[in-house]
Amino acid sequence: MINSNLKANASTVLEVLSDEQCQEILSAAMQVLEQTGVVYHYQEALEIMEDAGCYVDGNRVRIPTKLVEKALRTVPSRVTLYNSRSKQPALRLEGNNAYFGTGSDTPFFIDPYTQERKKASKETVAMATKVIDALANLDFVMSLGIVQDVPQPIYDRHQFQAQILNSSKPIVTTATDVDGYADIIEMCEAVAGGEDELRQKPFMTLYAEPISPLQHDNDAATKLVLAGQKSLPVVYTPCIMAGGTVPATLAGAMATGLAESLSGLVLNQQVNEGNPFIMGGVFTIMDMETTIFSYGAPEFNLMQAALADMAHYLEIPMFGTCGCTDSKVVDEQAAIEDALSILITAQSGANLNHDVGYIEHGNASSLENLVISDDLIGMARRVVKGIEVTEETLALDVIDEVGPGGHFLAHQHTMDNFKKETWYPDLFRRTRYGEWVKNGEKTLTERANDKVIDILENYEPEPLPAEVEEKIAAIVKRAEDNL
Amino acid sequence: MADFERLSEEVIAGSVDEVAELTQEAIDGGAEPKEIINQGLINGMSIVGQRFKEGDMFVPEVMMAAKAMKGGMELVEPLLAEGDTSTVGTVVLGTVAGDLHDIGKNLVAMMMESASLKVVDLGIDVDPAEFVEAVKEHQPDVLGMSALLTTTMLEMQNTIELLEEEGLRDSLKVIIGGAPVTPDFGEEIGADAWAPDAASAKDKVLELID
Repeated sequence: MINSNLKANASTVLEVLSDEQCQEILSAAMQVLEQTGVVYHYQEALEIMEDAGCYVDGNRVRIPTKLVEKALRTVPSRVTLYNSRSKQPALRLEGNNAYFGTGSDTPFFIDPYTQERKKASKETVAMATKVIDALANLDFVMSLGIVQDVPQPIYDRHQFQAQILNSSKPIVTTATDVDGYADIIEMCEAVAGGEDELRQKPFMTLYAEPISPLQHDNDAATKLVLAGQKSLPVVYTPCIMAGGTVPATLAGAMATGLAESLSGLVLNQQVNEGNPFIMGGVFTIMDMETTIFSYGAPEFNLMQAALADMAHYLEIPMFGTCGCTDSKVVDEQAAIEDALSILITAQSGANLNHDVGYIEHGNASSLENLVISDDLIGMARRVVKGIEVTEETLALDVIDEVGPGGHFLAHQHTMDNFKKETWYPDLFRRTRYGEWVKNGEKTLTERANDKVIDILENYEPEPLPAEVEEKIAAIVKRAEDNL
Repeated sequence: MADFERLSEEVIAGSVDEVAELTQEAIDGGAEPKEIINQGLINGMSIVGQRFKEGDMFVPEVMMAAKAMKGGMELVEPLLAEGDTSTVGTVVLGTVAGDLHDIGKNLVAMMMESASLKVVDLGIDVDPAEFVEAVKEHQPDVLGMSALLTTTMLEMQNTIELLEEEGLRDSLKVIIGGAPVTPDFGEEIGADAWAPDAASAKDKVLELID
């Protein structure tokens, strides 16, 4: 069979897989589920899957295609996440809508005051969240650090508290276990004003991930079940390393990663048909020189874009990854890797795109990297908007009026359109040489640091009502007391 | 009592019709022409200049504000008392011989007009003799020359030399600009000032006139 990728690229949308190729990868994933199967390390999940008609052998579960196809029919094609303060829709996760947010749980955080690489703490998560809240192109929050200065079994309550107090943007949260998740849901219910209110207008989605290859550990499986029981959206994200946990060939890697997603989806939909489910994937390679999970490889960008095609083909909202780097500091490598992944992601139309601000292949977070990426996202969004061709934009009457040798600067048409047509950066400078010298000859990274410090010292996020803050604090305290 | 604050605000907003209306109202209400200009129109425009410098306004917005101010000026100017003038000085401006680039020079002209300078724009491909002719006719405070090509830059020197020959060089200041033009080059050919962009060209000219 001959396949051709050739497409006339007549838009700013990037597609790397044809529909036929999507179907081939889907078929391959369904074959993996039928023939090889997956493992669930959770008794209740095994029972649910067996009742549904799967072949269960110990904890190995082989899933018939009809169950996968049924789950694909029941999963909603769109998920809306709301602003926790205004209760207005913030993110409409569907089609090619691309939103951007940070990543979660890095062990390290680069202190913007000292540039020291230190352990992330409750304070650093609060700082990061405040900066995310202030940035125009950042749409949702993940913690940009794992809180390590509190008792570790309940770090997640502290981490969520630090986030919900400092931002009204939707939050994608991790949880240590099912109890942590339940406590976080309770905090959200306090903010929303009740269980029904939260279900109706969710501003939080849980993040969970299988263990590649083809395993759903107890933690992940319980979260998929609980999200279903609570009717709350869940992000499920296989993190695969081509050549390590999945085949080195990208098609085989994609099929395996997709099989992990789909087996998570089947479990979730079996618990609650129609439960909102956001298909994730951090699909990349294992770097065979260093064994790292690369956040900057071209294969990472290619597979992320291919997964977006897959998500569009399946009509499931997609959790993407971009604005991250393998570089140890915010330098040229970081900027290049950020820019490429952000542009490719925006063009591929993945919906809920995380990890903006990561450096050191996901081991550390940098607020400078975050604010630089904020500009890059603005730039990418402009590119994706494309060129509108209409009578108004062709402006023949204006061209004729101005004529040869004239200029358009003082024309009403320019005034009416230049801001709509042109995107202006905040950190990227277009000043002339003399002006740049006068302003201290600052590099992009130095200006990024200035902006971070300015936000930290001058920006105030919208607070929660005092009684809600108290309820949240009480939930955190209860978890500590129960230790 | 005329509402100068609102007049200034409409200038800043670049509302051509509103500025004309408010100016006419002020005139009909018996306000002093000089006050309408200084406290209303010019005041608005100097705020625009400040905001542009700080990066809070864009060029087309400045241009629209200037257009609005100019519309108001045209209504007030005929009413000015003898000896009163609405301009702070005169600039003769042009792109030098052999050079047809004029978007930068036009920007300079508009920036200057917005600062109440009278601008005589000679256009493009202006040779030294034409510059000298215009200087004789308009007796400007400042002569401004623009070039975008390294090959035409030298025409600036030719113009300055001709001004000297005609004994006119001391009667005015010369400012030059354009992408390839540097302050060093300006010094070399005996210009009085150089500016890197339109807004600073206007500032430099105001300094030269002071």
